[in-house]
Amino acid sequence: MRRYPKPGDIALVVALLVPLVVALPRLGWPGAEGAGAWLGWIGRTTGILGLAMLLLAAAVSIRLPGMDRWFGGLARLWHLHHWLGFGAFILVMIHALALGLAAVSLSLEVAVVTLFPPLSHAAVWFGWLAWLAMVIFLAPTFDFFGRPHYQRWKRLHLVSAAALVLGLGHALLLAGETALWWLLGLAGLAAIAWRKLVSPRVARHAYRIETVTPLARGVVELVLAPEGKGIEHEAGQFVYLTPLDETLTAGHGEEHPYTIASAPGDARLRIGIKDLGDASHALLGVTPGTRVLVEGPYGEFYGRRFPERDRLWLGGGIGITPFVGGAREIAERGLAGGRVHLVYLANGPDRAYYLDELEAIGARVEGFTVTPHFYRELGPLTEAFLREHCSDFTEREIYLCGPPAMNAFLKRLLADQGIPASRLHSEVFDFL
Amino acid sequence: MNKIAYTAFIAFVASVLTLVSVSALSGADRDAAADEALGPITLEELAEHDNAESCWKAIHGRVYDITDYVPRHPTDEAVILEWCGRESTAGWDNKRPGVPHSPRAATLLEDYLIGRLVDERGEPELAANPAVESPDDGVSRAQSPAADERLHRAMLGLPQDGHYRGVFIDRGVIQVNVTFDLRDGRFESIDYRHLAYRDVDYLTLAEGDDLHPVRVQHEQIAERLVGEPVTAIFALYEPERVVDDIDGFSGATLRGAKVISAIRDGLNRGVYSWP
Repeated sequence: MRRYPKPGDIALVVALLVPLVVALPRLGWPGAEGAGAWLGWIGRTTGILGLAMLLLAAAVSIRLPGMDRWFGGLARLWHLHHWLGFGAFILVMIHALALGLAAVSLSLEVAVVTLFPPLSHAAVWFGWLAWLAMVIFLAPTFDFFGRPHYQRWKRLHLVSAAALVLGLGHALLLAGETALWWLLGLAGLAAIAWRKLVSPRVARHAYRIETVTPLARGVVELVLAPEGKGIEHEAGQFVYLTPLDETLTAGHGEEHPYTIASAPGDARLRIGIKDLGDASHALLGVTPGTRVLVEGPYGEFYGRRFPERDRLWLGGGIGITPFVGGAREIAERGLAGGRVHLVYLANGPDRAYYLDELEAIGARVEGFTVTPHFYRELGPLTEAFLREHCSDFTEREIYLCGPPAMNAFLKRLLADQGIPASRLHSEVFDFL
Repeated sequence: MNKIAYTAFIAFVASVLTLVSVSALSGADRDAAADEALGPITLEELAEHDNAESCWKAIHGRVYDITDYVPRHPTDEAVILEWCGRESTAGWDNKRPGVPHSPRAATLLEDYLIGRLVDERGEPELAANPAVESPDDGVSRAQSPAADERLHRAMLGLPQDGHYRGVFIDRGVIQVNVTFDLRDGRFESIDYRHLAYRDVDYLTLAEGDDLHPVRVQHEQIAERLVGEPVTAIFALYEPERVVDDIDGFSGATLRGAKVISAIRDGLNRGVYSWP
């Protein structure tokens, strides 16, 4: 059973609706006054909701460690952020169009003047500029003209601050109630300021790379020793890692998310890294002894855990790392609650990094079982294979982590067995 | 989601462009009505339409019948009815204190235009213009140097519009005394108050008198300079350029230079009285 909505969800819905609720008495109810009145009403409500969404999307981007768990983890929070941005974009366009069309009942000329008044009427033009800024920073997000490089996308996304300020100016000049807009606007701008200006200086923890352990071709484990006070994390969480090694061919000084593979009690932070992009490719050759900055931890992969229930872990590729962290925790502290069965999906033994360590833990800890599944030998995972090795898998809480195609395949396979989606847990941080 | 966002974006841009182009095509012939073409309405007529059944308002010199719009105005009816039958520019320019109505509202207002506000003489009612009638100062305000034409003429040394008087005196006796009016640097009228030489008062001469043609010639000068620029007086150095037949009269001599001198005397003295 999923525990939704999360407390953060409720706070978000309230913050979203309050400006509208406050404004509704002033907007009145169009009732039987005809299409023009309805369009005008829709235009105003969508404008209020759209701006609230834009400001809240900014506010939730603050990425404070721990705060993401109010929303069920950072991955889910980014999805909310994405949906809020999407909603804001659609609503502001409905807003403008509805207000323009509402005036057509008066005359076409009035409609056009409503949308495009003389330049001296700055409020409306602030609105247009805000929309233009949204197009600029959302076009790459929504893939209008192909997907840009991650860092370029991130920089372009900063135009959102301009959209925020312009949208706020638009509303403050026109709105009846300004206090709420000031509040939401400041929350949004403060979040951006924290994210871009403050947190890089105060929220990042310095670590030194002790060793770089090759696990397979294109896969390494970084072992990091904290220089000061390190972070405290749970198994399966992830961090944003900023390498400071100046000899790196890419990604120097850029932050990217990586999953923690170490157990919570480990004095070292271990991070599994696979060559999946320019930055992670360069990181394979990072110089031991150089420094990295770590911000986090985020996420709650195991957060929805029901310790009394048996669990099935399905990990593949670099998606094995949260399970490595979980297994190492089991090795240190023993099993809390039900049994765990890990099925490790790999192409072949050469690609099954961490497998020896995982199997050793399995041999040592009663109730923790590890079963490798090699694609080159057995083809895709089947229901029969699962039933053979883990006969009660349909009764277990199931945790998934792997490449997107594998996740999709497994979800289909498990759904076909009648396993409800609420029992499947995964946390995908694609393009965070 | 990406497809929806992109589709919505394109649909939005297309809809707005459609709206703008349809409006441009259908509204091309609609210009702001020229004031002259509007029927005149006096303050008395305006004042008769001061209620919800018939609500007229004068705004910036134009009169609007907004009776049909009153129920659709977003505020309480009392707010908008308060201004019916009155000069309402102040209300229009201060939707909230200091905040005028929107361009959208201005466009809408033009649909209700019925006439222009005039005073009893049919002249545009200046009271409609708050820049002219400002309740706090009875004195007319100093005009901007950018708009003050009198200042412009003075700065360029050009004569001001107005009424002038000037004389030509020789040996202690007035020979020519003219009065003239200037408008836009041209003569609007020229008259002789006195025209004499060697004890002959030409203005009293009648047809048949020996020197009567001299009077006629001077009157021709006056007639023919009307409508001409002030600079035309220098044609009088050769009077035959201005009058009909200078030699056709018996022994009469026209001294155009005396008229030039009298007019220049008037100009030097400056405006005798303002128009």
